[in-house]
Order: sequence, then structure tokens, then C-alpha cells
Amino acid sequence: MKTTESLFPSEEGLRLPPRSGYLPDLLRGHSLDPLRSRLSGAETAGLKGVAHGTTILAFHFSEGVLVAGDRRATASNRIMSNRVDKILEIDGSALLAISGSPAMALEMGRILDHSLKFYRRSQLAEISLEGKLRILAQLLKENLPMAVEGIGAVAPLFVARDGEAVRIYFYDILGAHFEGVEFSVGGSGSPEVQGILRYLDRWGEKKLRSLSRAEALLLSLRLLETASYFDAATGGVGGQDPVYPVIRILTPSSLETVADEQIASLYRNEVMRVR
Amino acid sequence: MFDEPYRWIDAIHQRRDYIAAQLERATPVLAVSVAEGIILATFHRQTPKIFELYDRMALAGVGHPADLESVRGHLLSMAHVEGFQRSTSDVTIERLALFGLAPKLKGAFEDVSVPPVILNVLLAEIGPDPSKDLLLQVSYDGNILRSSCYAVLGPDDESRTKDSQLLKERLPAHPAPLSAVLPVMGRFFLEVLYSPEERGHDESGNLVDPEKAAECGRRLLTERVWEGVLLDRSTPSRVRRIPADPGWFR
Repeated sequence: MKTTESLFPSEEGLRLPPRSGYLPDLLRGHSLDPLRSRLSGAETAGLKGVAHGTTILAFHFSEGVLVAGDRRATASNRIMSNRVDKILEIDGSALLAISGSPAMALEMGRILDHSLKFYRRSQLAEISLEGKLRILAQLLKENLPMAVEGIGAVAPLFVARDGEAVRIYFYDILGAHFEGVEFSVGGSGSPEVQGILRYLDRWGEKKLRSLSRAEALLLSLRLLETASYFDAATGGVGGQDPVYPVIRILTPSSLETVADEQIASLYRNEVMRVR
Repeated sequence: MFDEPYRWIDAIHQRRDYIAAQLERATPVLAVSVAEGIILATFHRQTPKIFELYDRMALAGVGHPADLESVRGHLLSMAHVEGFQRSTSDVTIERLALFGLAPKLKGAFEDVSVPPVILNVLLAEIGPDPSKDLLLQVSYDGNILRSSCYAVLGPDDESRTKDSQLLKERLPAHPAPLSAVLPVMGRFFLEVLYSPEERGHDESGNLVDPEKAAECGRRLLTERVWEGVLLDRSTPSRVRRIPADPGWFR
């Protein structure tokens, strides 16, 4: 009788998961490198016009954190799409708002989503918040060659639960992450939004954390409209074929996508009204 | 030693008997398609037997925990690699069972030079509505048994047939709400795991001692650990654990 150290006698050919529970380790074990893009300078020269350009924002309000983003993707001076969803649900329990190269950012979102599920299912435990943050940091670090080539930079916002709290984190393209205590913004249209949020939180009638849901929704739409006024790469709401921003709300117990009808009504009545 | 066909067949028979003896005392796992999804339930003493496998899918096993862990790891890897390469909707239990599990189990069973795999497996997958739910049982020799409304994963064909009949007689019409099926499961486990006398019933099946029946339910929940897992159609990427209600076990 053969002796074997493996649990399963015919383990040869079995695809066992890595003990780390880290999905990219599993994929590499199958000769799949999830962020495989190691291009030479000559190869990247033709890619300088790939899609990018965004405004994403997240801020605390009375119920949790609101995360919103415009829908436009641009490549140089061309509008590639006005229907991009940049606020990604991650494992039904977190949100990733993406800015930068959509190709890399969407792939990172997919890897992160699969990674959290794979960890939970293989290790039979939820990964910690710090663990989630580290996975995303690692993905950004692995994407560094593309980022420094100037074609694949990604700088996301990550919003996740921490026990009974919800926290906002922002990343740089190297993977460093910091908590946005009251709010965080990202993308080419973010400077105006950041200034307004800072002003309101410091001197507004209410702190951001005290805003009601209705007030928070309206503020997010007005902020995105302001960003689109100054930034050509941030999409506004066109008159003929309106496509509205995506708004998702993460609370300690729920994750909700705000319905288009509600956003449309707010736009008509509170954002686009003429004084 | 196994070169002659007779010796090989003899070894296979002995192997089957050995595995059957090892599985004999396994507590069955029930899976029932309900309006909300698929509910899987069992009791264990030491290690869990029901696991989340992938979006829309769960895995259960009766047998040796180490073999179950190997099979679980293999299917997890296969599902997540394929789901990442293509789409989550391209991963199905049919593909996992046919291409990933059944050939491995058959190969392990028929290779009499290595220790046997002591494991029967149940794979469950929810569809968009109850009529599309699917349950596949893969036995230790690689055979596959398909069902849609309910399944009983047990040690062997004989107990599965008997227990399936018992469950079928008590289940409400498919698809019933979860709340109507859980008490049926509770009573099923009492009937399978305890004698009529222990349950306060006479030989004809009539309840004669309610206090004894209640005590039997309490004993079950004390001596063993309940596992109730719902594959929920409303949140298909995450299973929901259903805690035991003592009211189901009386």
C-alpha cells in the first residue's frame, strides 16, 4: 500500500487552495497573474490616451457613509462612455469608488471582491478590515509598473464596516492608505468638491455627520454637478438622454443603491432649478 | 496482488464494505428547496458538515472530516479560478460535480492500493426561482444522483431511500416557505436519531408522553451542534446561518 502525507489519497491533480486564503496566490498557482501587464516603454507609448477622468466622493452622514460618482470615462479629449458605474460593491459589505484607469481599477475591484469571498469561504472566517485594506494596497503596489508608465494609475476610495462603525479610506497610486475621517474625494474633478466639503464641515450650518439622508443625497448631487461644471472629464446630466450619478449608501447594517427615479426627481427639482 | 480481475473485484467489494461500515453512524444532511432558496441542515458532534462553496452554491459532506476538507478545498479552488477567469454565472455545481469531483472520487475508490476516501457529498445550487434549484449527490465511488426539491445525504443507498421517503411524507408542497419546512426537519432528526420510546411515542407512532418528547428535543440540542444554512435567493453571494429554534424539535 502506498503511503501518502496528503489527506486525500489521489491528491495528485487536486487543486487545493493556498493556505493564505489570498486569491492572487491561488490564481498564480494556476499560471494566472491577475494584474499581468508588464509592458515596455515602446509598448506603452501607444496607450497614453486610455480612458480615465472622474469625480468620486464619500462622506459621513447621520446614517452611515454616502459614496457617489459621476458616470463619464474619457480618453484624452474624447468621451469614451457616459454610463460607467464607478462605485463598486465589494462582497456585499464594502464599497470601492474608482478613479484613474478604468481597465486596471475595474480589475482591481473584481479581484478584491473575489478575494474577500474566497477568504471567507476557504478560511471559514471574515477577513479583518485591516486585511481588506492590505489586499487593496497590495494590488495597487503590484500595479505600480503600469502606474509609473502613466497609463494604469488607480487611486481608489474604499469604504467598509469596522464593527458598528463605517470608515472611509483613500489610497495613493503606490498603495498607501489613510482614513478620511469626515470625507474623501478622488479624480480629476475632486479639488472643487474637496474645498466645498471642507468648508461645509467646518463652517456650514450642520456638520456633515449630522446631515439627514435627504440632505446628504442632495449635497452629493450638487457636488458632482459643480465638479462637472469645472472638469471636462467629469460627466454631468445631459438633457436629451439623462444618465444620473451612481449613489450607494453603506450603513453598519445595510448596503443600498439609491434608485435612479429618486435621483432624477432630486435633479429636476433641487439641482437643475433656475433661480 | 491485484493483477487478477477476481482479486481486484474482491478488493473493491471489501473496500465498499469498509467504507459503508465507516459511514454507518453518520447523521444525515437534509437539503430542501424552499421559496426563499435552499435550506441545508444537519447535526454534528465535532466538525461542521455544511459549507458555503461559491455564489449560489453550498457543499455538504458526511464521512471523514479530513476527506471532506480535501474535497472542499479542491472545489473551492476550481470554482474560484473558473469564476474569476470567466463569470460567476459560468460556475455551476453540474460542472463541478461532473468534471471536478466525480472522476476524482471514482479514481480514488478504484485505486485499491491507496487508502479509501470515506465521504459522500451533496452539492446545492439555487436558481432564479425554486423550479430551477438543483441538488447533486456524489457518492464515494463517483456516482451522481440528481434531485431538485429535496435530498437526504446519508451513509448509503438503503438509508437514503428510507430517509427520503420519511422526509417526503412530511414535507409540504414544493415550494413551501422556510418557516414551514424547518419544523419538519426538526421532527425528522428526532425520528431518525432517537427511538419511539425515547421520543415519548408508542409503537404505532402516537405521542403518549409530551414531557418525554420535549426532553428528547432538549437532549438533541445539547448533545449535538445544529447546522442550518440557507442559500438565499435574495443574497446569492453569501449564505445565511439559521439558528435552531427549540420549538422545531418536539
